[in-house]
Amino acid sequence: MDTGTILYLISLATMIGLYAILTLGLNLQWGFAGLFNAGIAGFFAVGAYTTSILTTPVTPDHLGGFSLPVPLGILAGVLLSALLGYAVARICLRLKSDYLAIATIGIAEILRLVLKNESWMTNGSRGIAGIPRPFEGMAQPWGELSFLAVVTATVILLYLVIERAWHSPWGRTLRAIRENDEAAEAAGKDVIAYRAQVFALGSAVMGLAGGLMAHYLKFIGPEATEPILTTFLAWVMLIAGGSGNNRGAVLGAFVIWTIWSGTELLTQRLPPDWQTRSSYIRVFLIGLLLQIVLQRFSQGILPERPPQPKRSESPSKPG
Amino acid sequence: MLRSLGKFVLAGVAAVVLASTLPARAADDEVKIGLLFDVTGPVANFVPPMLDAAKLAIDQVNAQGGILGGKKLVSIVADTQGSPQVAVDAANKLVNAEKVSVVVGALLSGTTLASAQSVIIPAGVVQISPTATTPVLTGLKDNDWVFRVVPSDATQGPVLAKMLMDKGITRVALTYANNDYAVGIAGTFRDAYKKLGGTITADIRHEEKKSSYRTELAQLAKGKPQALVLIAFAGESGVTIVKEALEGAFFTQFIGTDGLRDKLLIDQIGGDNLKSALFTSPSAPPGTPSLEAFEKAYTAAYQTTKDKLFIQQVYDATFIAALAIEKAGSTDRAKIRDALRDVGSAGGEAVGPGDWKKAVDLIAAGKKITYVGAACPCQFDKNGDVAGTIGEFIIENGSYKQVGVVTP
Repeated sequence: MDTGTILYLISLATMIGLYAILTLGLNLQWGFAGLFNAGIAGFFAVGAYTTSILTTPVTPDHLGGFSLPVPLGILAGVLLSALLGYAVARICLRLKSDYLAIATIGIAEILRLVLKNESWMTNGSRGIAGIPRPFEGMAQPWGELSFLAVVTATVILLYLVIERAWHSPWGRTLRAIRENDEAAEAAGKDVIAYRAQVFALGSAVMGLAGGLMAHYLKFIGPEATEPILTTFLAWVMLIAGGSGNNRGAVLGAFVIWTIWSGTELLTQRLPPDWQTRSSYIRVFLIGLLLQIVLQRFSQGILPERPPQPKRSESPSKPG
Repeated sequence: MLRSLGKFVLAGVAAVVLASTLPARAADDEVKIGLLFDVTGPVANFVPPMLDAAKLAIDQVNAQGGILGGKKLVSIVADTQGSPQVAVDAANKLVNAEKVSVVVGALLSGTTLASAQSVIIPAGVVQISPTATTPVLTGLKDNDWVFRVVPSDATQGPVLAKMLMDKGITRVALTYANNDYAVGIAGTFRDAYKKLGGTITADIRHEEKKSSYRTELAQLAKGKPQALVLIAFAGESGVTIVKEALEGAFFTQFIGTDGLRDKLLIDQIGGDNLKSALFTSPSAPPGTPSLEAFEKAYTAAYQTTKDKLFIQQVYDATFIAALAIEKAGSTDRAKIRDALRDVGSAGGEAVGPGDWKKAVDLIAAGKKITYVGAACPCQFDKNGDVAGTIGEFIIENGSYKQVGVVTP
């Protein structure tokens, strides 16, 4: 396999990894606490723009000049997203699911429009270019491979940490709240506080995905934070992969992004007379394949399996 | 656990199947040009004629003997969907999976910057954008891989300002869409217009795709401006603004740039209501043999060139890319870059749109050629930019007519 094909596969894998991080963040909110966050785009954007502003050199176009190292920039984005997530949660969490969804859509749009219109800070619709990418000085394909390694390590680490949390007392409380929040409240748990924590954590992970994506693309602008490529896509990945479970989140990212990107490899092969239509056929194919996946795997490709209670070996004795 | 393992395996098999559809075509009898276009997305209605223009260039090459010794020139389209994530993915497909020799694209400034920085420059392949006007491209550290055949925003704004002042339009209201195209031109226009002594009575940035702009128009009409300078895409906000301005008697004279100069505007508003409208757009001087040659060829293949924006630039980018490949004598990407600089500089024998066979013969005889394009002299400066000419347009008999060139 030549360098070109390897580079393409690396880029595909990197995007899948970045979306896997985003979907894991969503699953924290949905799978753990049953919170329907339809405002992923906002937290993604905050993470992306924060690190972009902090790591770019001085320029008259936007706020910058801090030239901080990349890990610090990403960390700042994560913290800011977490804070925002916590604030949003305290405001909105008394709302029931549908209302929460609409409220979060509104908040995401507010965040995106603020970022788009405060052009002194973000260069508005023209976006921030020249964002440094880790390992970019290295020769191909080692630079790209190193970045992929970082993304993969992040996915694995997140997965392990979240799985561990799921099986902890904290996780069990959240599951109880998700299944029946009134019962949990009656048992003395501060439902709002737990939900706010998990919402903030989920938002932090979304900010992480945004920050890493900004460094990968080396450019961020309003089109990169469009809801269809963040909110919609992460939700489809989670639902298709297996709503409520982390393996499903990662698998969903893999399957859906491969469909999104790979369909073009098919439509590119159409004869030249079809060129003006091939891109629209590709979009149609994406929709069709999404329908097929969602219909065929109506519970997700990896349905959620609640942990089974331990069975004792001897039959239970009366009394 | 076993069931989920099975599904992972299934996904893995699907991936291998997909990977096997990756092109294994031998490059022996074909030379590939990648068209990295924003086919779906904010500028979708501009794109089909542009794809036709690229196809025209390629068809001409193949009809006149092929490239690099009779090989077939083939174009591969990759859609950026108007967003940087998909643009980087699309550029990767073109540059690394399909291994094209040159990339023509992208159309939007954002997708051009993302694909350039993320894929093109690391991989080292020539990218020629037909329409990206962001000034950021000028200073981009690109190891000389990134070029464009359209003048930067830093040119269009001052030219528009000068045209207005020359015509005695010294008091205007300005509104522009909140996208990178309009914000860029509005910025340079504002500075230049004020410097020339013009007055901007109201300056409003508007969001696209709104159903009504009456609030903005009411504010814009205050202060008795002579005309409304409207920098926007017709389909996204321009038509609605003009319609409501006329209905509410806010303005009668409208001034726009290439984004507004769309057939949609005439269809929706009517040429009679736009008698005093003025437009600026990058173009070649009328009557240049290059433009006529292009118009003739395009009309023969696609009925008309009327009201189709940027088709000249797309044609020029594609044709000059083909010339560069022929001049390089191979598909070696670094040689193509050097050849592009050679073909895009003055001093050689002039070659215009459609002169493929003439160019091939000259190159075979070892002579230097200079491409004179349909919409640009196409001579690259040290940053890979072109100086360009900006044409002045009005609406006459239901279509756009170029009436002159505005000199900066």
